Amino acid sequence: MDRNNLSPAPPAWADRLFGWICPPELHEELQGDLHEQFAADTRAFGPARARRLYVRQVLTFYRPYFLKRRTASSQTYPALNDPFPPVNQPSFLRIDMLRNYLKIALRTLWKSKGYTAINVSGLAVAFCVCTFLFMTVYRQLTFDSFHANGDRIFQTYFFSGSPQSSARSGIMPLPLGPALKTSFPELEGVTRVRIGTKSLVSYNDKYFDKHIALTDPDFLRIFSFPLVKGNRQQALQNLSGIVISESMARTIFGEQDPMGKQLRLGQLTEQKNYMVTGVMADLPDNSSIHCDALIRVESTDNYRQDMKNWDGNSYSVYLKTPATLDQATLESRLRSFTNTQFARTIADLKKEGAKPDERGDLFAIRLQKLKNVHFDRDITAGKGAPVALVYALSGLAVFILLIACINFINLTIARSFTRARELGVRKSLGALRHQLFIQIWGEALVVCLSGFLLGTGLAYSLISSFNAFFDARIDLSYLQKPGFIGLMAVIFLVVSLLAGGYPAWRMTTLRAVDVLKGKISFRRPGILRNSLIITQFTISCLLICCTVVAIQQIDFLRERPLGFSREQVISIPVGTRTNGRMMLQRFRDHFAQDPAIVSITGSSVNLGRGKDRVTSRSMTGMAYKGKNITTDWLLVDYDYLKTLNIKLLSGREFDPTYATDSVNRVIISESMAKEMGVKNPVGLFFGSDTSGTRSQIIGMVADFHLYAPTGKIAPVTMHLSHREPISYLFVRVNTPNPTAAMTKLQAYWQTVAPQAEFMASFLDENVDAWFQNEQTMSRLFSIASGIAIFLSCLGLFAVALLAIEQRTKEIGVRKVMGASAASIVVLLSRDFVKLVVIALAIALPLAWFGMQQWLNNYPYRVSISIGAFILVAAGAILVAIGTVSYQTIKAALMNPVKSLKTE
Amino acid sequence: MGRSYLGEFEELVLLAVAVLDGNAYGVAIADELKQRTDRAINLSGIHVALYRLEEKGLVVSELGGATAERGGRRKRLFSITPLGSKTLNDMRDVRNQLWDAIPRPSFL
Repeated sequence: MDRNNLSPAPPAWADRLFGWICPPELHEELQGDLHEQFAADTRAFGPARARRLYVRQVLTFYRPYFLKRRTASSQTYPALNDPFPPVNQPSFLRIDMLRNYLKIALRTLWKSKGYTAINVSGLAVAFCVCTFLFMTVYRQLTFDSFHANGDRIFQTYFFSGSPQSSARSGIMPLPLGPALKTSFPELEGVTRVRIGTKSLVSYNDKYFDKHIALTDPDFLRIFSFPLVKGNRQQALQNLSGIVISESMARTIFGEQDPMGKQLRLGQLTEQKNYMVTGVMADLPDNSSIHCDALIRVESTDNYRQDMKNWDGNSYSVYLKTPATLDQATLESRLRSFTNTQFARTIADLKKEGAKPDERGDLFAIRLQKLKNVHFDRDITAGKGAPVALVYALSGLAVFILLIACINFINLTIARSFTRARELGVRKSLGALRHQLFIQIWGEALVVCLSGFLLGTGLAYSLISSFNAFFDARIDLSYLQKPGFIGLMAVIFLVVSLLAGGYPAWRMTTLRAVDVLKGKISFRRPGILRNSLIITQFTISCLLICCTVVAIQQIDFLRERPLGFSREQVISIPVGTRTNGRMMLQRFRDHFAQDPAIVSITGSSVNLGRGKDRVTSRSMTGMAYKGKNITTDWLLVDYDYLKTLNIKLLSGREFDPTYATDSVNRVIISESMAKEMGVKNPVGLFFGSDTSGTRSQIIGMVADFHLYAPTGKIAPVTMHLSHREPISYLFVRVNTPNPTAAMTKLQAYWQTVAPQAEFMASFLDENVDAWFQNEQTMSRLFSIASGIAIFLSCLGLFAVALLAIEQRTKEIGVRKVMGASAASIVVLLSRDFVKLVVIALAIALPLAWFGMQQWLNNYPYRVSISIGAFILVAAGAILVAIGTVSYQTIKAALMNPVKSLKTE
Repeated sequence: MGRSYLGEFEELVLLAVAVLDGNAYGVAIADELKQRTDRAINLSGIHVALYRLEEKGLVVSELGGATAERGGRRKRLFSITPLGSKTLNDMRDVRNQLWDAIPRPSFL
């Protein structure tokens, strides 16, 4: 109203904080002193600083003296006539009580060692799995999150509508970068980035294979990759400057200072000199852009001839907007730019009958936020991770945690009758509900905490095997990231509240009188217990079914005919240190007379994934009768079809006797002909839109999978050229012992090209490597579902033990009355089997539906087999019976005299 | 030593109580010590020392002197007891004796 409102007051929450620690009899004087000090501080330093000082003063009261004095019952001063008494209630934090709680907790835990062990180990396994999964998820979610002002960095992509389906692509033409920079001077930076296969770097006659990024000076302005040496603004100003990573500097220069040193880049014949102008810290593992060094785009050989070429797409373009410009505005400004720059493309699309999308664009340049790029598989051309992966892993982790929590809840509640009497006594002696709650919950917290510590410890020690087994790249540094620690803390809190809090709450709601009279019935928790068990088994069965279907699908893809023969073919990556064309010639000459070697050919693209782990793809747009057709543009050499057993449908293969075959002659695949809309394409001409030349079709082959069969077969156009480099050799052998042939090839390779590594592999291995992602996922799911079913069984085992313990007397009576052991086993098992059957009834349809959705992603897929599901169901029931059988059989065989004579 | 042990800070606080002569309470003592020693003083530290001194019987206290700044709360005013004065004197004597016992090189 008056003065009180005007004069600044110390923060109320700090007063409350003070009230908690302050011994009540001292409250008045101490609070008074604090406020007086605050008033003095306000005069001296102003209200803001006074408040800070006040909080600091309050915090210093949290010292042992006051805590002891508060909890000790001794009172130096008689109760005061405090006009402002703090809320004064018996505190459960009294030291004697805490000591008692701890003692009781340890006793109960020790008395039931078995259950404690089950609880702790179950939670530990779950926490361990969660740590791994959340680390993986964390890595995925933090991709590209480390750039300053990352929300203003975008990658551009083309959107193009077409009559069939719209397409997005993040690969842009070379001139786009500079054009954007001149048309939109308001942008803070525009950079092109192209990171191809590894290139050869040499220094003092030492050779290294490194990923070199072609880029613009703005790269270092847009992205905040730290520079260890060199000047951010200057490092890429010079056309022959190169910025290398710290680890590259170490491998090449060792301890020497790399700055100003000359490096030579490129093949032996066409090397170029670069001077090190900067050293950047190694790019973080969770960066979408990954390379060892940066050089200027303009310093490459073909730059002059490509700088006006708007048709070839091979660069990613990143830009940083000023803070005042939002994405939508920039995208709308880009529209007019696109309309003039890509008028021809838009006209073509219109001719094809493309319809504009909901934003009214036929063709547009749009922006994707950098932090979303990793999850945008269209833009990264499949390099990123699918968002579904993050969901799947988080879901998996949550499921497994849930199962462990359910075990915990079930066991605690089932065992609560042993504690009921204790709680009754405590209540009748005046324990308040929240005190009991804290006690029981505290016990649960102890168990949770041991499980948590054990689990994270386990994860800590297993991390390298996890990485090796799943080809993952998580590392221990995440354990120190505040975000990750926060995540784990939240998980721990939720688990301990859920798993410990619920049973504690239930137990405290019991009425003391009933408990002490022994009237309390534990019938009702049965419903809860059963539904929890059903939940567990539903989740486990769901996971198992999904895993089974996924494995079937992967096997199906792997066994699928690929259109080429993968047997008896060896693929040799040429690498950067030698010339593929020369090697091809030498191998052909050397092995011409060898009966074990049938044919040798070369290509620009490997089939499957070889030991060099490189995938490359070259695509081109073809115009045929006004139709734009996108096709793989595959460089081959003579004998390609013969070596790979690709079926020739019509026409002929490339033949050395026709000199013109190496110029503008192509062989197309069947689906290419289909795209063109011709039955018999041999002899026809069509134009490629990049070179403007026209090619004649000399043959047509059956479709084959040039890339992984997880996608649809794409049209392929093969051409032969003596100028383009050959990156892979393929050798067809015909021998019962292909390994010997491989050794022979290796021996020859080492005599011809000793400087280059021989990285050959059999084609069937390569093809298997295509499914590596799927394989890793299915392995992950197999293990997760194994753990899920293991944890569920662990819980079932313990619950069965308790349930049977409670029915000891009933069983004794039944036996005395003449029941057979077998009938008792059936009786006891029936309850549990019933639960599993219900769980199956829920899980199977869900799995069927879910997996149907998943399979729809694949153009080639298995149909879900009922048999597999029946097998899973039978397995689950058997496992459940097996789990409880130990207990039931023991109970059934027990001498009834023993069970009845007690009491 | 029959006397109870007195820490350095406790001694300072006890001296401040003596100095302030009947007007010694938390904030006043803190101000006094801040001015004289130029070190950071916590109210909580002062109070702990005061209560310990009171337990040892070196000071006595009474409530009184509420002000508006204190939100109408009373102060606990401490005053030194004869035992407290004697302790201080004893300590001073011990110190003086020790000082006197330091051998002094003669300059003259």
